[in-house]
Amino acid sequence: MTNIEESQDMIRVNGLTRIYGTFTALDNVDLAVRRGEFVTLLGPSGSGKSTLLNLISGMVQATAGTIEIDGRDATNLPTNRRGLGMVFQNYALMPHMTVFENIAFPLQVRRVPRAEIETRVHEVLKLIQLEHVVQRKPKQLSGGQQQRISLARCIVYRPSIILMDEPLGALDKKLREDMQLEIKRLHAELGVTMIYVTHDQEEALAMSDRIVLMRKGRIEQQGAPEDLYFRPDTLFTADFLGSSNLFAGRLPAGSRQLDTPHGGLPLPAAREGEPEAGEAVLMVRPESMRLVSEGEEGGWPGLEATLRDSIVLGSYVRHFLDLADGKRVIVQEPSGATRRRPERGAQVRVRWAAEDGRLLPTDPDFKEL
Amino acid sequence: MNFLRTLPGALVVPLAAWITYLFLMVPSLIVIPISFGGAGELEFPPRVWTLDLYRQFFNDPTWWGSLMESLKVAALVTVLTTVLGVPAAYALQRTNLPGRAVLNGLAMGPLLVPVIVLALGLYLQLAPIGFLNRTATVVLAHTMLAIPFMMVSVGAALRHLDPAYEQVALIMGAGRVRIFFRVVLPQLRAGIAAGALFAFLISLDEVIVAYFITGPETMTLPVKMYSALRWEVSPVIAAVSTLLTVISLVFALGLMWLERRDRNA
Repeated sequence: MTNIEESQDMIRVNGLTRIYGTFTALDNVDLAVRRGEFVTLLGPSGSGKSTLLNLISGMVQATAGTIEIDGRDATNLPTNRRGLGMVFQNYALMPHMTVFENIAFPLQVRRVPRAEIETRVHEVLKLIQLEHVVQRKPKQLSGGQQQRISLARCIVYRPSIILMDEPLGALDKKLREDMQLEIKRLHAELGVTMIYVTHDQEEALAMSDRIVLMRKGRIEQQGAPEDLYFRPDTLFTADFLGSSNLFAGRLPAGSRQLDTPHGGLPLPAAREGEPEAGEAVLMVRPESMRLVSEGEEGGWPGLEATLRDSIVLGSYVRHFLDLADGKRVIVQEPSGATRRRPERGAQVRVRWAAEDGRLLPTDPDFKEL
Repeated sequence: MNFLRTLPGALVVPLAAWITYLFLMVPSLIVIPISFGGAGELEFPPRVWTLDLYRQFFNDPTWWGSLMESLKVAALVTVLTTVLGVPAAYALQRTNLPGRAVLNGLAMGPLLVPVIVLALGLYLQLAPIGFLNRTATVVLAHTMLAIPFMMVSVGAALRHLDPAYEQVALIMGAGRVRIFFRVVLPQLRAGIAAGALFAFLISLDEVIVAYFITGPETMTLPVKMYSALRWEVSPVIAAVSTLLTVISLVFALGLMWLERRDRNA
């Protein structure tokens, strides 16, 4: 915060809208991205995340609204003058160029002298530990190597903003996790502003400073990963990130108990912005729930349930339960070598601390809960 | 698939294929032995085997000259078709040029209009202004005929070229011209080569338009052959046909070799 220039937002989007015929791909979106921030645009397909990215890159023209990049209006600036970098899901490495030529290309565009191109290409290859493939063609590299080369081609010309469109979508799980760490490391080392598009909520949670969750062309909710995960404001957010148990019911005015077909459920302390009375939904994460034995502690006795199935997923166990009326509930507990799992079909009791629940407004898209 | 594994199936299919090939090839191939026959008349099989007809062809400056004219025209047509057709195909596929449909229709037009109509139209237009009997005129007319083939060939290659290459280059700051030459063109090589081969071969054996607009000094080989058939029925025709077939074959095989090398590179 030493000078105003430094503290400015890197990207500022105001009232941005894009309409295709009768379809509104992006609907009046406002978004500010700080210098050096790692922001993920998360959402299902058709939610507008790619449209927003393409509007920022200039490959799609805005129907309405403005885009500012580094304090300057860029709404109508041609793509090649926005000073951006971008990494695509299919890498988009030039198949007719060697790795060296591919990485040198953006430097040649910038009329960097030959000798400097040579040093900078080798520097960046060293950074991603792929110096030995410098003379190969992209076809001769694995998917993971190709994606690292396309990262290198991007960072070699030091753009202040890097856009990534599902860059790890084509890689297998193990490689994807390695690449997530690699991208995080590069982000930290280079201090570059990153805008990352994905539909993979785990990836978004693992990588982002801030997640912008999109739905139907609008921003549903944005915040730090733990904000969205633990403090969702809507059913859509709760449902999209992680798994959740949702109990629909009715909240009598002034009460802290939700009336549901499964009985009255305890609610956390009232918070700003939650429904005050009427139809509402209580969300509880599976990992906040516990299977308890009869007669344990006092207070709220919990819900009666039948254990349908249990699966061990390494460090934790997932229990699938049916309540008396058939509603499915998922409970997740840590696993352990000595921990005994209840038998399939066993009658159990499921309980959670009232503070771990979150009361959310109803949503017409979530009719059946 | 089971049908192919049975013995009759394994025989019938290749047999049918070979009969079809022969049916298509024999008329072209039969002139090859004839071309090594005597200088007296066209006969099959030839009674004597000589190179007389080839000697006659290369000693007669009108034959020899028309071959050179044809090769010159075909080479110029190939260059012109490439220079005009490739950017045109790119512009029609990748830009929001107004009136694209109309322009595309115009470029493809020569494919739809009967060649004889084109030939007559060109003749009636060019005769009064004294543009007949010029090499440049033949080159332009043949280019018009060849451009649709170049555009179809390059258009197909462009449809298979992921626009992400151009997008990523644009984001990296490259201008349109650099993107065209450094990103797009190298990846269209096979399509351009195929279009260029078409252009060369179309020009090399085009007879109708050339017949209308060439004169004694600019006579192309097919026109000379056609006249020879009408006026003299010289057996040299067989040697010329063989030569043309060989030239076409060499170019086609050369292209296939280049494509294979490209794919393996």
